[in-house]
Amino acid sequence: MTELSFKPVATSHEVEQASRPSLSYWQDAGRRLFANVRAMISLFVIVFLLLMAYLGPFIWRVDHTEQHLDKTSQAPWVNRNAILISEDSPWQEVVVAEPTGTHRAPSNIEVVGEARTTSVGLKWDAVPNATAYRIYRHILQPVAGLPLGLPIGETENGTHVSFQDKMDIQQKTYWYSVVALDDEGNEFEEFTSIEVRPRLYITVGEALRLGHITDASNVEPGDTVRLDWHPLGTDYLGRDMLARLIKGAQVSLSIGIVAPLFFIIIGILIGSVSGFFGGVVDSILMRFTDIVIALPFLLFMILFMVWFGVEAGGSGIPAMVVALVLLSWPGVARLVRGEVLQIREHGYVEASRLLGGTNRWLIGRHMIPNTMGVVLVSFTFAVPATIFTEAFLSFIGMGVVPPTPSWGAMCNDGIRTMEKTPHELLFPALFISITVLAFNLLGDGLRDALDARMRARE
Amino acid sequence: MTETLHNPKPRLTATPGWQLTKYALYALVLCVVLLLLLGFITEKFNVGATSTSAVNFEDNTITLSLTSEPPQMDSTRATDMVSGMLLGHIMEGLIRYGPENEILPGVAESWEMGDLSGTFHLRQDAYWSNGTPVTAHDFVFSWQTALNPATASQYAFVLYPIKNGKAINVGEASVDSLGAKAIDDYTLSIELEQPTPYFIKLLAFFTYLPINKEFYESREGNYGTNAEDMIYNGPFLMSRWVHDKDVRLERNERYWNNSQTNLDAIEFGYITPDPNTALNLFATGKIVLAGLNAENIERALTERWRIETHSDGSVFYLGFNHRAERPTSNLNLRKAIQQVCDPEELVFKVLKTPGNLPGESIFPVWLRGVEGYFRDEFPAPDHKRDVASAHDYMNRALDELGLDEPPSLVFLTGDSAFSSKHAEYYQSMLKEKLGIEIKIDKQIFKQRLAKMTSGEYDIVAAGWGPDYDDVLTFGDLFTSWNANNRGLYKNEELDHQVEIAQQSSDPRTRMEAMDRVQHILYEDAAIIFEYERGSVYVFDDRVKGVTRRSVGTDPDYTQAYINPEVDN
Repeated sequence: MTELSFKPVATSHEVEQASRPSLSYWQDAGRRLFANVRAMISLFVIVFLLLMAYLGPFIWRVDHTEQHLDKTSQAPWVNRNAILISEDSPWQEVVVAEPTGTHRAPSNIEVVGEARTTSVGLKWDAVPNATAYRIYRHILQPVAGLPLGLPIGETENGTHVSFQDKMDIQQKTYWYSVVALDDEGNEFEEFTSIEVRPRLYITVGEALRLGHITDASNVEPGDTVRLDWHPLGTDYLGRDMLARLIKGAQVSLSIGIVAPLFFIIIGILIGSVSGFFGGVVDSILMRFTDIVIALPFLLFMILFMVWFGVEAGGSGIPAMVVALVLLSWPGVARLVRGEVLQIREHGYVEASRLLGGTNRWLIGRHMIPNTMGVVLVSFTFAVPATIFTEAFLSFIGMGVVPPTPSWGAMCNDGIRTMEKTPHELLFPALFISITVLAFNLLGDGLRDALDARMRARE
Repeated sequence: MTETLHNPKPRLTATPGWQLTKYALYALVLCVVLLLLLGFITEKFNVGATSTSAVNFEDNTITLSLTSEPPQMDSTRATDMVSGMLLGHIMEGLIRYGPENEILPGVAESWEMGDLSGTFHLRQDAYWSNGTPVTAHDFVFSWQTALNPATASQYAFVLYPIKNGKAINVGEASVDSLGAKAIDDYTLSIELEQPTPYFIKLLAFFTYLPINKEFYESREGNYGTNAEDMIYNGPFLMSRWVHDKDVRLERNERYWNNSQTNLDAIEFGYITPDPNTALNLFATGKIVLAGLNAENIERALTERWRIETHSDGSVFYLGFNHRAERPTSNLNLRKAIQQVCDPEELVFKVLKTPGNLPGESIFPVWLRGVEGYFRDEFPAPDHKRDVASAHDYMNRALDELGLDEPPSLVFLTGDSAFSSKHAEYYQSMLKEKLGIEIKIDKQIFKQRLAKMTSGEYDIVAAGWGPDYDDVLTFGDLFTSWNANNRGLYKNEELDHQVEIAQQSSDPRTRMEAMDRVQHILYEDAAIIFEYERGSVYVFDDRVKGVTRRSVGTDPDYTQAYINPEVDN
């Protein structure tokens, strides 16, 4: 044994360090929230949606009210290569003399000029004894004995042997059939069909006006130009869906955040006062809360609209926000009251009171901050509920007024064309679903993070 | 070798993402299973096909749907199209329209009609469904009831051509003073207020149908509310009316022309306003006819159904508010708006259904003129969108109105999905082309009429359907005395031309006056012609002999029959 053996052990600082840094309640909650993948993804989605709503218009500079009637209800994936032509040639009716012979089917049917998505011109050889011709359009190849499709028009009489179709032509294959009519207006059995595939065309002048080409001298007819891109397609009046969804996001998100903010403040005030004072004050406030809860929302929404004197063509949004704020606070108030009833029995409240804390101090310093957890959670759940309410009210026509879009109103427009052009319903519905889901998952995460009992479980 | 057991990697199944995916997969599998199961059940037990098929060969019956429940079936108070269509099958007036809108004898066997009076000889074999004969008294009673102010009939004005008709309706004369008298049971004499060349055509309108007085009074105010509370004199009688559910019409054995009726019954088995529901009923073979809209035409095409078009005879237009305090009372503003409107664009790009015609005149193309069609003889005013001239008009309008920028206007329209689409089109178009801000005011029909009457609008989307087969049914719409001229348009020359057409019995004079009317309306931009409404529908071609018309009972199944050749 030497002296060395008795050398004191080097002072270890590590032992004295706490295994975990000291965390405040909020730091701890934040840590747990950040660890929650689902909640974090939701948070990013929400931030992204907010950015899209408020910064989007500066990036996607398309007017949401501008209508392009040549491309209504256009799906995102539609071909947008247009062929340049020099000039629009005016439509010329083809009129011939009364033919002779015995043939009964209009022969030599052909397309006049180009088959375009704006118009398709047809002409054919006249049929003897025809009093007029009826023109059909089909999306399937006509079969003898079966209907020829959509009766798209009739000519004036038997010597007019041409027809111009302008009715909602898409870039797909059509079969046009021409049938002669006899002097009683009955169709001949014989018909002639032609397969037509209309394509996009644009005149040089139009392309210059829209800025697709800068100089008319270095392009030739037959060149292709790429028309404006609509990443999410267009709606029934040819308005850009993305621009409308961005504008709709502003409406939906701002209502979804502003209205809950206000009714939660009212709820906190009433709930904490009611819970703190108890007794008669509590009874009166809670009975009043019961009354408000019993009020039918839709009815009061309509009453508010009347009371606000929403003028012709005015927006129902302010009335909607007021109705939401005035009718939705009871839930929060009850929640906060319950919390406050618990908290006020705690020792530190008693201590604070004995040290001379006034009621205002007690409510402001001890009650409200300690209820923040439940309040935050109910806020995140109130946001999607409010977005849903707005969507629903706009869906039934009580919310935004045209041309302002909102997601709910866009769904309402889209649902009519669900079968034919699903993208008009799909995108706004998707945005509503994603937003509501994101807020709900974030709320879930917040609830888990803020729940103090969760600390013990780790 | 057991290393991995001791250090288990975090299991994939424990992460929240995987849980979500798992639930989504479960849900998907469940959906697929459910779909297959339902498909199997419908296939196996034939849920789709029930006993009421669209065409029933054994019972000689066809099934149809109604877009709405008729409010009641009292012809003196009827206003809507569904009531009008049903009344056309279960009742018969003095005359009826044939398949080509020709006038055929109805209860009246023959008649002499002068300028100011007429005598109608009623057939003696016309009976009510309870066996009592149809007499001249029944017509007089019905007309007196409709004109009686106590009935408050909305269509009483249709009877105004009869002497004292208007005076009775406004309460200035007693109902007995009506210029229609029963000389005996089978002779009806009618005196007119003033020469009314189209009077004979009016007689097929539902307000002119007869009502049996004894029966009407025996129901003590309930006449027309139920199938039992009516008696019938038309080709069919109503054998069942379950409110809001269905209506059944059966062959009326006591009808004088019963041998010409082919069907034994017409079943209106469904009442639904939704075109998609009706189309599904058609698809499953439950109804004979279903209307199409721009959205579901494609489905009808892929199914290769027979598609037909029909013009319902009505004309749609934008009406202006001509009250002096409104900006639209300014001619140049109206002209500016008129010059940027393009009915072709509206019909082909916005309405998108065939059958509609771009509007060119207040008179639709099917109206008869002197010899042929009115519009062939008197072409409509030329119109082409002209944005440059619209701006000229706009600048002048701004000067006259003392404004710096285009005014904001209220666009009054209906509450349907179509109305709002149509209004949004004008909203964007007028904003883009003229810088006019449009506020869209959507209102239900009744409220819209009230707002039109009180003048709380600038532009209104309006339409007019014909009540009788004559140019005047459209021509007198904008006279200063017409109650339907709710924009209070006043033009002395137009009033004068309408008076000429009302009083003259010379067709050419009348039609020339009407030609002036269509041009005055255009030059003054009193209204903007939009479109003539047509409809597209799918039809079961086993049923023949159905007449579609612009005026009168539409669709008319009175002569319909089931084609025996294509039994399947």
